[in-house]
Amino acid sequence: MNQYMRMIVVLVIISLVSGGVLALSYEVTNPRIQEQTQQALQQAVLKVIPGAEKIQTVEKEGMTFYIGTDNQGNKKGIAFKTTGSGFSGPIEIMVGYAPREGKLTGIEILSMSETPGLGARIKEPDFTDQFKGKSVNDEFIPKKDVKVITGATISPTAVANAIKSSLAKVTKIFPVGGDF
Amino acid sequence: MAQLVKDFLNGLWKENPTFRAVIGICSALAVTTAGQNGIAMGLALTFVLTCSSILVSLLRNIIPSKVRIPCYIIVIATFTTIVDLFMKAYFPPLYQVLGIFIPLIVVNCIVLWRAEGFASKASLPRAIADALGMGLGYTWAITLISLVREVLGSGTLFGINVMGGATHWVIMMLPPGAFLVMGILVGIMNMISRKPVKKTHCH
Repeated sequence: MNQYMRMIVVLVIISLVSGGVLALSYEVTNPRIQEQTQQALQQAVLKVIPGAEKIQTVEKEGMTFYIGTDNQGNKKGIAFKTTGSGFSGPIEIMVGYAPREGKLTGIEILSMSETPGLGARIKEPDFTDQFKGKSVNDEFIPKKDVKVITGATISPTAVANAIKSSLAKVTKIFPVGGDF
Repeated sequence: MAQLVKDFLNGLWKENPTFRAVIGICSALAVTTAGQNGIAMGLALTFVLTCSSILVSLLRNIIPSKVRIPCYIIVIATFTTIVDLFMKAYFPPLYQVLGIFIPLIVVNCIVLWRAEGFASKASLPRAIADALGMGLGYTWAITLISLVREVLGSGTLFGINVMGGATHWVIMMLPPGAFLVMGILVGIMNMISRKPVKKTHCH
């Protein structure tokens, strides 16, 4: 076999074997990855809607809403996902909203890639807890009615803006004081 | 046997990839903000490095030298993707932190350095000893950097508060902190292993 044939054959064999191994490990891990993502989402929903035990998924006007109910089937609140543009990438936020009271019931950061120790502290309860009980008609202006993190203004601003702009849409679909 | 021990220890100290060769420091500087990140990243690299060194050593007489680099890259990329998938599936919290750095192991020069510079010319046992030494050398080095940065930057050690909030040096959490810590550690390491200098007369 001349050397050019040999190069091609060796490269092709290595690529084929690698492809096979990768396909196999994808098959093994994929169900587990899906399950993890699903679980993380569910936990976030249950966390932002106090008292919720079960989740119903509803599609409305291109948005996905998760309606949290307790064991008797009483509706406790709505959760929805929104995305802000942070300092070093998108920030995915789960927001809990109680339409009857017109208030937020909590937020949870699903994923982000902010600077560790600075922007990444938007994940901490110190920051997220301030949105509990916040009225949807508030201004959501950082340093005014949203507490920021020392040394990091971009990430909290991104979170505040993302919530504010998504609320404008959500309160049209589920008006304050209305039922859901 | 003595040769194997020597190959293993080589990466741990004498040719430590992070402190001596100072290569592959992109990820070493980026992920070292908390102790557990250092350990996880180090073990992930050790796994990829060992697996690829084994394959490269086994295939060293089969791979034609003109296409060796693409072959190595395919092998390394395959193992890296396996680590990526399994970490995503079984350690999601860790994946959240290290996620973007795991794929970068493919281009981490340590792996290619050892594949090209050692495993492609060495027998299987020697390649394994070298890969483990290099991998663990990288692991202890970046774990040490992580711990220093974690204590000074967030006042915790493996997530446990040890400084009582006395240290919150934001700079330690940012890239400059990584360079400062690494520079000082390299200096200390050089001091420890410095050979006495013979006095020479200069005019």
